[in-house]
Amino acid sequence: MSAQELLAILPLLIISAGIVILLLQVSFWRGHRGALATTILTLLLAIISCFWVTGNLLGDVSSIQVTALLLVDHTSLFFCLLLFLTAVAISIMGFNYLRLRCDPRGVSASYPEEFYILLLLAMLGASTLIFANHFATFFLGLELISLALYPMLGFAVTGEISPKSEQLQSLESAIKYLILSALSTALGLFGIALIYSASGSLDFNAIASRMTELSQSSTLFATGITLLLISVAFKLSLVPFHIWTPDVYQGAPTPTTALIATVGKGAVIGFLLRFFNTLDLFGSEVLIDMLAIAAIASMLVGNLLALMQANIKRLLAYSSISHIGYLIVAFLIGKSTFGTEAVIYYLVAYIVTTLGGFAVVGLVADANEENMLSGKHPQEFLIDAKNPYHREFYRGLLWRSPWLASCFAAMLLSLAGIPLTIGFIGKFYVFTAGVEGQMWILLGGVVVGSALGLFYYLRLLLIMVQRNETAETNSNGTLVIATSGQFLIATLTGALLLFGIFPQILINWINAL
Amino acid sequence: MTLLAIIIILFAGGLLAWLAERYFQAGGRWISLISLLFTTVLLTNYSSFITSTEAITDNTWWDSLKIPWIPRFGIDFYLAIDGLSFLMLSLTIAMGIFGLIMTWNDIQFRRGFFYFNYLWTLAGVAGVFTAIDLFLFFFFWEVMLIPMLFLIAVWGYERRIYAAIKFFIFTQASSLLMLIAIVGLAYIHYINSGQLTFNYNILLEAQVPSDIAYWLMLGFFIAFIVKLPALPFHTWLPDAHTQAPTAGSILLAAILLKTGAYGLLRFNLPLFPESSILFAPVAMTIGALSVIYGAMLAFAQNDMKRLVAYSSVSHMGFVLLGLYALDTIAIQGAVMQMIAHGLSTAALFALVGALQHRLHTRDMQQLGGVWSKLPKLSAVALFFAVASLGLPGLGNFVAEFTVLVGSFRSNHWLTALAAIGLIGAALYALIMMQRVFFGKLNKRLEKPIQESNTADLNVRETGALLVVAALLVLIGLHPQPIFNISDKTVQMSVNKIESALSFQKFPPKISPLQVHSSRVEPTSIEDNTP
Repeated sequence: MSAQELLAILPLLIISAGIVILLLQVSFWRGHRGALATTILTLLLAIISCFWVTGNLLGDVSSIQVTALLLVDHTSLFFCLLLFLTAVAISIMGFNYLRLRCDPRGVSASYPEEFYILLLLAMLGASTLIFANHFATFFLGLELISLALYPMLGFAVTGEISPKSEQLQSLESAIKYLILSALSTALGLFGIALIYSASGSLDFNAIASRMTELSQSSTLFATGITLLLISVAFKLSLVPFHIWTPDVYQGAPTPTTALIATVGKGAVIGFLLRFFNTLDLFGSEVLIDMLAIAAIASMLVGNLLALMQANIKRLLAYSSISHIGYLIVAFLIGKSTFGTEAVIYYLVAYIVTTLGGFAVVGLVADANEENMLSGKHPQEFLIDAKNPYHREFYRGLLWRSPWLASCFAAMLLSLAGIPLTIGFIGKFYVFTAGVEGQMWILLGGVVVGSALGLFYYLRLLLIMVQRNETAETNSNGTLVIATSGQFLIATLTGALLLFGIFPQILINWINAL
Repeated sequence: MTLLAIIIILFAGGLLAWLAERYFQAGGRWISLISLLFTTVLLTNYSSFITSTEAITDNTWWDSLKIPWIPRFGIDFYLAIDGLSFLMLSLTIAMGIFGLIMTWNDIQFRRGFFYFNYLWTLAGVAGVFTAIDLFLFFFFWEVMLIPMLFLIAVWGYERRIYAAIKFFIFTQASSLLMLIAIVGLAYIHYINSGQLTFNYNILLEAQVPSDIAYWLMLGFFIAFIVKLPALPFHTWLPDAHTQAPTAGSILLAAILLKTGAYGLLRFNLPLFPESSILFAPVAMTIGALSVIYGAMLAFAQNDMKRLVAYSSVSHMGFVLLGLYALDTIAIQGAVMQMIAHGLSTAALFALVGALQHRLHTRDMQQLGGVWSKLPKLSAVALFFAVASLGLPGLGNFVAEFTVLVGSFRSNHWLTALAAIGLIGAALYALIMMQRVFFGKLNKRLEKPIQESNTADLNVRETGALLVVAALLVLIGLHPQPIFNISDKTVQMSVNKIESALSFQKFPPKISPLQVHSSRVEPTSIEDNTP
């Protein structure tokens, strides 16, 4: 392993070092703010190192192979950068979530610091997955994300101060994810074994060199790829492997939900892009048809089921199912620079808006929780209007907290794909990709899905602008959100509008990397 | 720059109005009025072009502004104005001011947000009427929807949420079809020429295979007739109109419906001439049926707002009929109908709103004999009701007559069918007058009238309504200037159609349409005025 190779995986090394430092730091000196600072510092260093590595990749060296396991190139570095930025946002959300629910002095054995260690572990897994060029690293990365996610999903259980119902739901979501994720991993592993037996190799490049004979003759290979795709589809929660999504999203602590919805999916998309491009699987009609069916099903089922949801986290869960469906449409147009660009742009749009949506929901719930803990109002989860995750809680929010509601409205409009937001440009990319690939049925699915989607986004939006019928404006009056949270939401909304109005900036970045 | 300034003033005015309302009670409406007046002043920049239309310049556009926006897709921020855009833009600003003045005191809560939405809707519509890049056009097409949605959903009547969502889903879903068509058109042009662009002027020359062109045309067509609205897609309109607050109804009726008609004339006919010729009989049938059907339903309503809303369906049917007659006179008539309908329907909605504001009902079973109590309002209502039914001497008559004359040469039967709609118009307009204003005072009204000191129209309202009435009389008696202004745009569309026609019928004998390509003679219309 040469020095150049070591430098190429600098982001991975920095994250690993950060994990070790954080472990040591926590064992000597517990402190919530300290853990947060180390995490953010690590992530920022990793982000800077991404830029640095990109700088080294200029010229004729477009990618660096690091042993047989990892491959660092422009696209994967962009994905890393995106996910690290996401992780910074999630750690801020996590800080606000844990600040209320964990005892700061650690008397009742509820420590918040582990959250950050697990977060960094998940990030290590995600970046490994993105750089993976070998099934060993693929599996390592995927499992690292999952293993870090199980305790994070159940994190509310450790916070003694969290309400009982929250703890139970969190536990439920962790166990559901554990069981189903283990099942999907088993299928994926079996798929890898079949691919290995057919091709005799675990290295993507080596498999790619034998693709012509494999794709024509070997049913073993086809079965293996299919099983692998099922495992990936589970992580992406594509229909029909979406069953876990709403329950897990609803029960988990909101920062974890945001993590699973953004990093968990972004990393898998990054892997999928590389895998399909290296093996040139876009030529395989059966695979493309399977993905197309899954995409249409995701768009329709996701949107249809979201119509029924009154819980905002469940609603966002179903909406994320349908958004991955749209993304797959862009993915399907195949091995072209435009296809990759469309996928990346849509993914950025998806991550920014989903993160923003969950940030608002989480911070609103935190603000409500803070009011409750300080004894301002009693805990009444039975009444819809008092449950911070219920639609009714948001009634008239625009008049109570205008800026917060405006930001949330921007997120919703972006999810619905309305101009001035990044979501619209993302949808435009999907449409352009669809027209270029002449996939009319898929485009029809996008149109129907979007029309259905409008209904529930608008319903939520209109609830926010409704004049309150009841006179009790004071009872859940202005929501005061922590300053770091305000900053986070403002940044996300700013990015959403900036890239929505001047998309060329982001397009240039995508193409430069 | 003027165009950009108009749009920016409206957007910025909206933001200011929202912020100002926190500090001054009535700051929002004054800021709205000032920014609208300011845009009016800016519009007068173009007055030189109105008078000198005869001077033929090579350039189709009076003024344009082009800034690269998303070079990756060849998308420019490209605004331009010509005669048609100018007419529509003037109508937008004028009706914006009219709606603002008519509902000066109506909005009781969240005023700042109301004027924000009001001005943003106008800004979006102004963008739609001036955008010449297809992507930019779509952008504004969507931007105008959101504030309109809020206008209906926050300040509307009983079933406002239902109406708002229905309005939005209808228009948004259909506009996605248009987006596919826009992208498809640009992509085919890209394949053929290697140049990726959404520029209207360049796409006009795009060579599109005829079967694909037909599908693309349908994509645009559906988006536009949903907005228009024409027969199968009109169901959102009565709900949206009825539930919207008065100012929202005025915007919807006077301006938003016109964007559909504008789109058909600006994009559908010139971009896809061959397919439009093929499709014309279908479109004319839809138009004629809308005329009849709208009139019939208007006749059956008890709710005054619904009645006016269905009358819009009927009137806009004439626009569709006229546009797809593919005949200079008929298209000129359609443009005239857009303006005349904008003026008369906006006034009718304002009157219904004023009536509801005073009597707290718009159910015609509850009303009756209002004339004795509100003589001024009733007299003005009579004027606009007969304008709506097409009384000679007023703008609507000129418009409908011209449409029918032009269409008759293209399709006798459908034109005859649509002409029956005029009888329907007389029926519903007079029935409305009879049930609401004439006769004895309805007993149910006595109490509200006594309790609240019901005042007749005040100076502000009377002034605004009389200006609109005067405009209707003016274009009724002297329509030629409007024909002149829009002439060039209409000629451009008709020329495209004609060249497509003469291309189809290869022995280039004189096609029936070429006979009328000469300018509309002023006498032929003014002879009909009393």
